[in-house]
Amino acid sequence: MPPLLELSDVTVRFGGLTAVDSVSFEVAAGEVCALIGPNGAGKSTLFNAIAGSAAINAGRILFRGDAIHDLTPHEISARGVRRTFQNGGLFAHLTALENVLVGLHTQVESGILGLLAGTRGSRRAEAAATRRARELLALLEVEPVADHLAAALSGGQQRMVEIVRALATDPPLLLLDEPAVGLAPPMREKLGRIIRGLARERGIGIVLIEHAIELVMSVSDRVIVLNYGRKVANGTPAEVRADKTVLEAYLGHA
Amino acid sequence: MRGRRLFWLIPLLLLPVPLLLDPYQQYVANLILVYVPVGVGFNVVVGNLGLLAFSNVAFFGIGAYTAGILMLKLGLPWWVTVLPAGIMGGIAGAAASVPALRGVRLFYLAIMTLAFGELMRWIYIRWEPVTGGSFGMAVPEPSVLGWALNVESRKFYAFLVLVVLVIGLTDRLLRSRFGRAFVAIKGNEEAAAAMGIPTDRYILLGFGWGGFVVGIAGSMYAALVGHLSPSSFDLTELILQFAIIIVGGLGSLVGSVLGAALLTAAPEFFRDLPGFEELLFAVLIIVVILFLPRGLASLLARAHPIFDDRYYRE
Repeated sequence: MPPLLELSDVTVRFGGLTAVDSVSFEVAAGEVCALIGPNGAGKSTLFNAIAGSAAINAGRILFRGDAIHDLTPHEISARGVRRTFQNGGLFAHLTALENVLVGLHTQVESGILGLLAGTRGSRRAEAAATRRARELLALLEVEPVADHLAAALSGGQQRMVEIVRALATDPPLLLLDEPAVGLAPPMREKLGRIIRGLARERGIGIVLIEHAIELVMSVSDRVIVLNYGRKVANGTPAEVRADKTVLEAYLGHA
Repeated sequence: MRGRRLFWLIPLLLLPVPLLLDPYQQYVANLILVYVPVGVGFNVVVGNLGLLAFSNVAFFGIGAYTAGILMLKLGLPWWVTVLPAGIMGGIAGAAASVPALRGVRLFYLAIMTLAFGELMRWIYIRWEPVTGGSFGMAVPEPSVLGWALNVESRKFYAFLVLVVLVIGLTDRLLRSRFGRAFVAIKGNEEAAAAMGIPTDRYILLGFGWGGFVVGIAGSMYAALVGHLSPSSFDLTELILQFAIIIVGGLGSLVGSVLGAALLTAAPEFFRDLPGFEELLFAVLIIVVILFLPRGLASLLARAHPIFDDRYYRE
């Protein structure tokens, strides 16, 4: 069986700058794999490449054995690779509930003609999706704010709603881009428990970009370190912590 | 919300209106009914999809000329031309979405789509054998199933039916996953795509629906004024249409109705004060935007949640 996600020799260039330089790694189902490295190391670019919003110049990206690097973002999402965004990707004009309904978009089965005719089927599909969205919000304890506008939620609530939205379609692979930014320590611990639960109990493969190093070390099965677009380390949290090149990447050449 | 069914009472309450108005006032009421779908269609593109596209007058003119040409050249009765006018408007909408589909946004999109309206005006002027050129064309008397719309009150009822249909269908569209996709695209295109939404297809759909609705409005305009000329579809007309959705409220069906009513009726009230009409009209727009930056719709939305369009928010 092929690995859930497989990157081999992925390179992304912007003009003369090589943002991601020949990076290879694999992520298995149920595994939490963290991507760490200093700012500008290429972590977000690599995420965008996996999600289809950045084109790769060389290499390949396979999801369950199929090449996805030529697909558009919505096609990749429909195959089951879902992501959150670094600076909050919620739709500000929509409520928490509606945000999750957008997450369920591909699963609301209503055609445009049935909808305009107001058929019972299209109304049922909408009602079923709304029920499902509320259940999902309840799982991460944000159901009470379901009808609040996304912009009115606290940072922690926004993060939870965004994770619920990404999880709405039961994706096999989840990409989390700095989910702990701006969260208070108790909230970070809760986030850590959620990430571990998703991987261990539901078998979701998770790729995590995160600067909060204690969170990374406590939830990850594997840590990949990037520096100047290159992979400089790949191992368990303990191995990476002991790695000299990692210290150099973070502290500069001493 | 269940209470929304009460909205069906509004057209019923409007039924006796023709009994209360003199023919000129009736004409103004009909003009309002023409501008309601103009605003509804424009608002889907600008308010819901969030794209600054100024091709609306092109859709309006294409709908009007389609109805006029079919009536004059083929001798079709007016009611038969309504759907073709909408379809031609929808095709024009799809064509106007091309720059947006190529990633053109904001001011660049505004200018490119503006050019579409001006190109159409050039065609109305140059395609003289069909459109009547700069002098325009006289539209034959409209009729519905043999019932001549030869007095303003009859047009009122025909238009009312179309307006109810357009609002009802657009409301269903906007309250579905399609309408949510529009607003998601407005909020964050990258995140919308990451939710599995094919953003290009929805931009095409939004423009197509907007063009369809505004094309229908064009056929109503042809029936109302009885004479089409290129100067009715110029930049001044575009600015008036844009003012309708801004003053009414972006992204709100209620707003499109209120904006159309106020901006169509106001100049007629000011007509009694010659020399000050433009000034008063300008002051009215400034005052509304100053005190109600989210448009007239925000006034009603605050009064009762029943008026709160689902994807229109303060």
